[in-house]
Amino acid sequence: MKKYFYVFSLSLQQAMQHRASLLMDRVRSVALLLSLYFLWSALMQNQDSFLGYSRTQMLSYVLCMNLLRAFVLSTHAWDMVGEISSGRISSYLLRPIRYFGFCLARDFSQKVVFLGSALLEVFLLLWCLRATVYFPGSWRSVFFFFVAVWGAFFMYFFLAFLVSSLAFWTSESAGPLFCFELLLQFTAGVFFPLDVLPPYVQGWLHVLPFPYLIYFPLSIYLEKLPLSSILHGFMMQGVWMVILGWVAAGVWRKGLRVYMAEGG
Amino acid sequence: MKKYFRVWWRIAVASLLTQFSTWLSSVGYLLGKLIRLFFFFIFIVAIFQHTKSLKGYSLAQTVLFFLTFNLVDIVAQLFFRGIYAARRIVMEGDLDFFLVQPASPLFRMACGTVDFLDFFTLIPVLALVGMTFSHLPEYLNFFSLFFYVLLVLNGILIALAIHVAVAAMAVWTQELENTIWIYRDLMTLGRFPIDIYSSAVRWVLTLAIPIAVMTSFPAQAFLGKLSLGWILFSFGLSIAMISLSLGLWNKALKEYTSVSS
Repeated sequence: MKKYFYVFSLSLQQAMQHRASLLMDRVRSVALLLSLYFLWSALMQNQDSFLGYSRTQMLSYVLCMNLLRAFVLSTHAWDMVGEISSGRISSYLLRPIRYFGFCLARDFSQKVVFLGSALLEVFLLLWCLRATVYFPGSWRSVFFFFVAVWGAFFMYFFLAFLVSSLAFWTSESAGPLFCFELLLQFTAGVFFPLDVLPPYVQGWLHVLPFPYLIYFPLSIYLEKLPLSSILHGFMMQGVWMVILGWVAAGVWRKGLRVYMAEGG
Repeated sequence: MKKYFRVWWRIAVASLLTQFSTWLSSVGYLLGKLIRLFFFFIFIVAIFQHTKSLKGYSLAQTVLFFLTFNLVDIVAQLFFRGIYAARRIVMEGDLDFFLVQPASPLFRMACGTVDFLDFFTLIPVLALVGMTFSHLPEYLNFFSLFFYVLLVLNGILIALAIHVAVAAMAVWTQELENTIWIYRDLMTLGRFPIDIYSSAVRWVLTLAIPIAVMTSFPAQAFLGKLSLGWILFSFGLSIAMISLSLGLWNKALKEYTSVSS
């Protein structure tokens, strides 16, 4: 366990070292945050609620989305693609450490840095715009929210690991990964709450794992779900976690068999 | 001019062949770009199922703003994609190679790559712009169309000025590789009509980082919501920005002492 803590610590230092890259990533998030915040503000200017969201709830959705995006959807998956394609992964395979755990520790360090930065952005925006945030009325909602966030954390980790493992079979996985990330962000509820979409599209999406990454935890936080839907959501998160974890581990094992350490 | 077109054509063909040789990655990127366009389009249409207007703009008008943003952004990426590799070009010594060639080094750097994926994304955007115009017959006339096209071209010119300034900074400092990405990210603020932002943000997006001039002004001119004063301001701004960025580029070249090779 200690060695994974060292990976976490070193990756944290590395993330803080590459401040320009961090700044660039955060500028992207701030631009998205600002555009969505003002879009929803404009839409709700003359009405008290929109799609069942009060003004405070909708703006809280945007602000909390920025925090969840930073924590759940940040990953080093692109690094893994590069490591496989260039053969650098060989050096990790020879070390007395599990690559799976190594990636988890490395991802967690990035999530900590991004979450810290996202918190600062949200507080700055709240201060500048004198906006108010919705707080759940019961501690039960807060507890369920944090459980859902951790579920989303592991689901996304397995998903990203699975898609990055494509690099074992092709050196051209950057394009599919880009496509996957965009599809995931839209269907996870990053750009808008999924309630905006027609009910039949929402029905399809809820069979997939994506809405359980951002939209589901935020719906719990905003107390928009009854207990039965929350429990159903947890069940879906659990099922997808098992499926994705199992498939990711299987693909990883198969990938290692075809890996030829090209360039390594 | 003919020489530059021939060089550009050679580069474009080479870029296209490169993209064909990595077809899986290219298809992934193209699909990603189309998904982004499609989902935002669906999002705008979906929110108008629950509201009649966005800051006074109808669905077709809001879609026009969104498509204009895409039009300017995609054309800029299609033609000035080379700037994204500005730092690498400098650090690996390719700029030295460009300097001894009988063509402008700025042209070689800016147009060193032609992203045909953006060309394929441009086709549906242009088709959708045409369809959107047909949904706004009350605004469609020679002058509105003329000013729309002129201001879109003006927006592309401002994008060029920003790209040239970024290239100049890369040559001058051999750093700042992320500057162009910061511009790209800020550019997304132009996805929706500029009127949705607070007056302070609007001011910044018009005068400091003129994203509004690039993306919102053409649609506003088409809808007859832009005064002649602002139209003249747009042209003045683009001329000033182009002059400034070219001056910066020339200064950067004078300061350049070769980095690599």
